Amino acid sequence: MIPTEYYLLLSAAVFCIGVFGVLTRRNALVFLMSVELMLNAANLNFIAFSHQYGNLVGQTFSLFTMALAAAEVAVGIGIVLVLYRNFKEVDVTTPTSMRW
Amino acid sequence: MAGALEFAAAIPALPFVGFLIALLAGHYYPKLLPKGGAIPGILATAGSLLLSAWVFLAVGSGGEMNEEIYTWVAGDGTFSLHFGLLVDPLSALMVVLVSLVAFLVHVFSLGYMNDEDEPGLPRYYAGLGLFSASMLAFALSDNLLMSFVFFELVGFCSWWLIGHWYTNPGPASAAKKAFLVTRFGDYFLLVGLVGILGTFGTATFTEFTETAATALGPGGADVTTFFGLDPQAWFALLGLLVLGGVVGKSAQFPLHTWLPDAMEGPTPVSALIHAATMVAAGVYLVARMYGFFALLPTVLAVIALVGGFTALFAATMAVVKREIKQVLAYSTISQYGYMMLGLGAGGYVAGVFHLLTHAVFKALLFLGAGVVIVAMHHDEDMWEMGGLKDKLPVTYWAFLSGSLALAGIVPFAGFWSKDEVLHEALVYGLGGNTALLVAYAFGIVAVFLTGFYTFRMFLLTFHGEPRSSTAESAGGIGWNMKLPVAVLGALALLIGFVNPALVSDLTGANLDFLHSWLEGPIEATAAGHYEELVTANAAYAAAEFSALASAGISLVFALAGVGFAWLLYSGPEPVEHTEKLGSIKTLLYNNYYQDEYQVWLAEHLTLPVSRGVSKFDQGIVDGIVDGASSVTLFSGAQARRLQTGRVSNYVTLLALGLLVMLAALGVLGGWF
Repeated sequence: MIPTEYYLLLSAAVFCIGVFGVLTRRNALVFLMSVELMLNAANLNFIAFSHQYGNLVGQTFSLFTMALAAAEVAVGIGIVLVLYRNFKEVDVTTPTSMRW
Repeated sequence: MAGALEFAAAIPALPFVGFLIALLAGHYYPKLLPKGGAIPGILATAGSLLLSAWVFLAVGSGGEMNEEIYTWVAGDGTFSLHFGLLVDPLSALMVVLVSLVAFLVHVFSLGYMNDEDEPGLPRYYAGLGLFSASMLAFALSDNLLMSFVFFELVGFCSWWLIGHWYTNPGPASAAKKAFLVTRFGDYFLLVGLVGILGTFGTATFTEFTETAATALGPGGADVTTFFGLDPQAWFALLGLLVLGGVVGKSAQFPLHTWLPDAMEGPTPVSALIHAATMVAAGVYLVARMYGFFALLPTVLAVIALVGGFTALFAATMAVVKREIKQVLAYSTISQYGYMMLGLGAGGYVAGVFHLLTHAVFKALLFLGAGVVIVAMHHDEDMWEMGGLKDKLPVTYWAFLSGSLALAGIVPFAGFWSKDEVLHEALVYGLGGNTALLVAYAFGIVAVFLTGFYTFRMFLLTFHGEPRSSTAESAGGIGWNMKLPVAVLGALALLIGFVNPALVSDLTGANLDFLHSWLEGPIEATAAGHYEELVTANAAYAAAEFSALASAGISLVFALAGVGFAWLLYSGPEPVEHTEKLGSIKTLLYNNYYQDEYQVWLAEHLTLPVSRGVSKFDQGIVDGIVDGASSVTLFSGAQARRLQTGRVSNYVTLLALGLLVMLAALGVLGGWF
């Protein structure tokens, strides 16, 4: 049986990839994907600890999180579409008017 | 007869309704308002008069009332504030007096205002209605707080009515002056009121006077005092504070300056203010809480001295005035001085008696002066008059009755009351109280001057040859002006007989009706109770002095004054003898430069102090507030640079924040 630490390392790796993507990429779609990576890193943690302690609550939670992620992606894609309509591109650094 | 007392609240309510009708109808449907609001006003005050008379009869047959009718702040573990009615012989007498004068003034206004086509009639009658309502409520109030509220309303209404012709600068500034000067006194009253509430936990007249009496009595109940003063000194301070309001309202020295200026208002208003409402309110307040003042010899002495001095001081100024209403104004100040003297001398009944008779004859004199002024087409200078005797016979005889009453000639009203005031002062003064003797001396000299200036005014107005074309063609006075004057003229002759103490002393018959009347059903407000207090607490001792001799002295002085005036002014062509006084005349004519020094005080003392306070407020208090806001503004302007609008920046910040938190957690949690 694979020890829990490996899962946690995997999760940390996925999270870091997500953070890296969010910090470096300007394409809104990649941006969104990176966010998904971070979210799923959290999911991995849930499942790993659920497995470790033999408690199913964590796995149930991760199911809910996936449903939530689906909804979030729907909203995110919507925003990307609006972004494209307004600016003819999907670069997240272009729109800067939403500030003071 | 308990039925009448249930309607006591309607006495002030009726003129208030009259006020509302005149105000609202006058504003929205002026055409619907008969006589510009006079009719509702007359009906309302007539209703009040009838109700007051009914209540008066009910009190006469032993009725009384002392209860709360509306609690507007219910105290939880502390005192409550309420409105209530106190119907006892004093207030019953006062409401009859006030509503009678108010009624006659309303009728008189028909002639003075309506027939002269004055503008703003609904405003005028609304003011009269509110004025009467406030004064009636003031007279009936059962606690000092309610009294204060209506005291202020009375002051407000006097501002309203004195400034009736507000488009002229004179009345407008006179109205402001009356308001401000009386307000100055009222501040003291307000502080005194708060002090009384804090000390006794109640402002109800019958309650706190009793508590004060027991606190100062033998054995002494415990009361809260402030500033480490013993009860006697603390109560005296409270009494003096309340007296501040009285001095302002009753136009006593040095706050009397507003009253002569108030003559700028319409003459019926002057009659109302001086006879029964505004000015009477101060003296009435002293009489109302006499159970408190009677405990305090210092305050009583101050009252007597202020009163006596004012009586003399005002009388000297009345001697040189040219305008008929100015003479009356100063005589009003002087006569209220007598009332204060009477009250201060322990003569509760005497003071109230003089209040009663003065209300009648002063209303008469003012309304008579109003007739003269209308007949003279608003020329008030007495040196333009003369010979009005044949033109205005009814007014002449009524005015003569009022003048005799004012001068204090037997058997007119003023004689009986003024004599009783002076007798009280003399008797207690000889009993070992020097302050009262001094006050008596002031008073007795003022009697001479009163006789003189009254008959100077009377002779100049009605006797001799007409000194102007207006005086030759004077006339045209309607019934609505003659009737009130005639009624009051008869009353001025008769009202003194409600308490001819002198006659009872001589014949042994019990004719002191007012004295027995004021004995009253409520122990705490009975005249006899006050007398005990004055003797026991203020250590007033009465010396034996024949009432007849005292009356003789004042009558001789009064007759001397009248005779002197007759000597100087009775010829067909009188000359201005006052010119011979030279610089004294200038001094008197300018009212001892009282206005000037008060204005100087305002400009050179109050104004710099206010400037300093304003500077402190603008600089320090506002500075702190402004500083706090500019610090916030500046830091906000700096901090908002963080918000760039770029999502990537936010994410960077979030990630950095996460790192910092991790590091902090690591350091604090001891990972390293």
